Amino acid sequence: MSYKDIIKQAQSQKRSLLNEVESKAVLAEIGIPVTKTQLAATSADAVKLASELGYPVVLKILSNDVVHKSDVGGVKVGLRDGKEVEAAYNEIIANVKKAQPTAHIDGVSVQPQARAGTEVVLGMSKDPQFGPVLMFGLGGILVEILKDVSFRIVPLTNRDAAQMVREIKAFPVLQGYRGMEPADLATLEKAILTLSDFVEKNPEIKEMDLNPVFAYKDGAIAVDARIILEDAD
Amino acid sequence: MTTSTTQSRRERLNRLLNPKTVVVVGSKKADEYNWLKNMSTFTGNLYSVQVDPNEIPGIEELGFKNFTSMKDIPEPIDFILCAVPRNVAPRIVKDAIDVNAAGIILYTSGFAETGSEDGVRLQDTIVAMAKEADLMLVGPNCMGLFNSKLGVRFGQEQVAGQNGHVTFLSQSGSQGSGFSAEANAQGVEINKVLSFGNGVVLDSPDYLEYFADDPDTRVIALYLEGTRDGQRLFKSLRAAARRKPIIVWKGGRTPDSARATRSHTASLAVPAAMWETLVKQTGVISTQGIEETVDMCKALLHTKPFTGTRLGLIATAGGHSVEIADAFSSEGLNVPALTEASYERLATFFNDIGGSFRNPLEGGGNLASEEKVSDILGILEEDANIDAIVVEMGAFGRRDPGILERRIQTLKTFKETTKKPLWACWGGLFRIDPDVQKDTTTKLQEAGVPIFGSIYRAAKTMGRLHSYSVWQQEQNK
Repeated sequence: MSYKDIIKQAQSQKRSLLNEVESKAVLAEIGIPVTKTQLAATSADAVKLASELGYPVVLKILSNDVVHKSDVGGVKVGLRDGKEVEAAYNEIIANVKKAQPTAHIDGVSVQPQARAGTEVVLGMSKDPQFGPVLMFGLGGILVEILKDVSFRIVPLTNRDAAQMVREIKAFPVLQGYRGMEPADLATLEKAILTLSDFVEKNPEIKEMDLNPVFAYKDGAIAVDARIILEDAD
Repeated sequence: MTTSTTQSRRERLNRLLNPKTVVVVGSKKADEYNWLKNMSTFTGNLYSVQVDPNEIPGIEELGFKNFTSMKDIPEPIDFILCAVPRNVAPRIVKDAIDVNAAGIILYTSGFAETGSEDGVRLQDTIVAMAKEADLMLVGPNCMGLFNSKLGVRFGQEQVAGQNGHVTFLSQSGSQGSGFSAEANAQGVEINKVLSFGNGVVLDSPDYLEYFADDPDTRVIALYLEGTRDGQRLFKSLRAAARRKPIIVWKGGRTPDSARATRSHTASLAVPAAMWETLVKQTGVISTQGIEETVDMCKALLHTKPFTGTRLGLIATAGGHSVEIADAFSSEGLNVPALTEASYERLATFFNDIGGSFRNPLEGGGNLASEEKVSDILGILEEDANIDAIVVEMGAFGRRDPGILERRIQTLKTFKETTKKPLWACWGGLFRIDPDVQKDTTTKLQEAGVPIFGSIYRAAKTMGRLHSYSVWQQEQNK
């Protein structure tokens, strides 16, 4: 399915939230590197997908009603074989049913575990006056507190993307701090420009959240993603 | 919109902003015929339109030609100043359309900025009429145009007959008046000031596009509170800033001040964080207040871009040495040590009792001789560690006016050969007579040496000019 079809399908179902699998499919199509992620509706599917994608894998709850997946025990990482995947699947479903009994569950997402890199976030929201605005910043669980982020109004120029990345306080971390691997700035800038282009051409996109994105010396990859559409009316 | 319509819009705006025929509608005794008097310096044809028989004699007594209807005016009308009450305004707008006037300034207020139903309704009526007829409508709730060269004014203190290159676009009329006054005091000549009020038909992006193309305008400055169309403003600022320097003084940066903008122009204020983002992306120069805005215009008119940060400072007295170094180094600039060669030369004639020459260079006695000052300037010119020079001017003239005259001459002579930017600023040692200040300003700026009202005004402005020059350099890569 092309991204336009994914969007149309969600709209026809009167849904504004695209889940992790759908959001990553959209991003993959426009050229943003994402971990290959697929939906498993049963534990057997999960095991099958895991062996296809390659171990170790990560399983995450797939439910539009669950916002913070790890908080409700909805994420399992480092799964090394079919047995661990099966157990993880069942545990995730049980945890979420317990924590949020009314949540509608689509299943579980299965993806290869990405190597840890420097965590950054990429986002998009709409300003009431200026329209789409992109956000970039250092990620991690403290992002809500530190708010070390930069903004730019769409459409961005190459210079805007380059400046945005260099503007955050934590930029020295991206350059490689105290033995940490530096981040591939060119790939990050390209992703930013890709998003700018995408939201400019698709006004039905209301919000985007790529968090975390792992940045490496060569390349970067979005490990989780969420897209919200404008309301159908 | 077809190309021919766009051209015709530009022609109409041209006629409105550079009129041959001006009509003032609604002038009366109660406002002391203020608008007609504003236009008394106009170099073209000026007419009054007033139907009230009680008002007409007063108007004609002052020597103005009055008609009871716009339709009786024998020439094509370029510019109408509408000063009638808001209920009458739609009729005047209709007349303007019927006579095919190029444009109209709606000084009249009481529209959407009041938040009242009547106000909003009247505004909507006028907007619909003007847009349909493509009438260039400025305002409502504005002071309109100050075109110095042609003598079109919105205040009697505005100085007509100048041929300046700075255009100020303002959402506030009083800030427009204030800008005119400060610019005059600072020797900055004005091309136009446009107070455009609610901006319902023509708004800031329209004016930006027009003046970005205007060959008489070298610097555009704006006082903006809010915008109707953020994307359009963003794009027009970005495009205009690529052509010429754009200075923006943003009003309503805090939640409290934002509330005030709603009643002022009925426009949505832009939150501070978004505004900072916009400034970074567009390359506009951000200032606050009339003084900073005028100072920035002055700097841009007189100084070629320079990306160096190292200043040679000449201060009038010891205490000032520290203050002047503080001021400039706080704005991202440096006050470095000079080269050894410079110090050797200075040591041969600089009396370091009561003065010092490490940089800043100061000491009353050493600066009493024009020959010494000339030598110091020459040394700074050749010093490889120095990119630009700032000279503090003080109240030397208070005992002997000849001293100030000679200092001005020294600076003018140096300016003729220097390759480095040369600025002057007033130090706060003693009160300087305003006439002397104005006279000095005129003389120095005629020679291309801008002089700023205080050390701090100079420092802040130079910091901004430096940032702008760096930005320009990056654009040209």
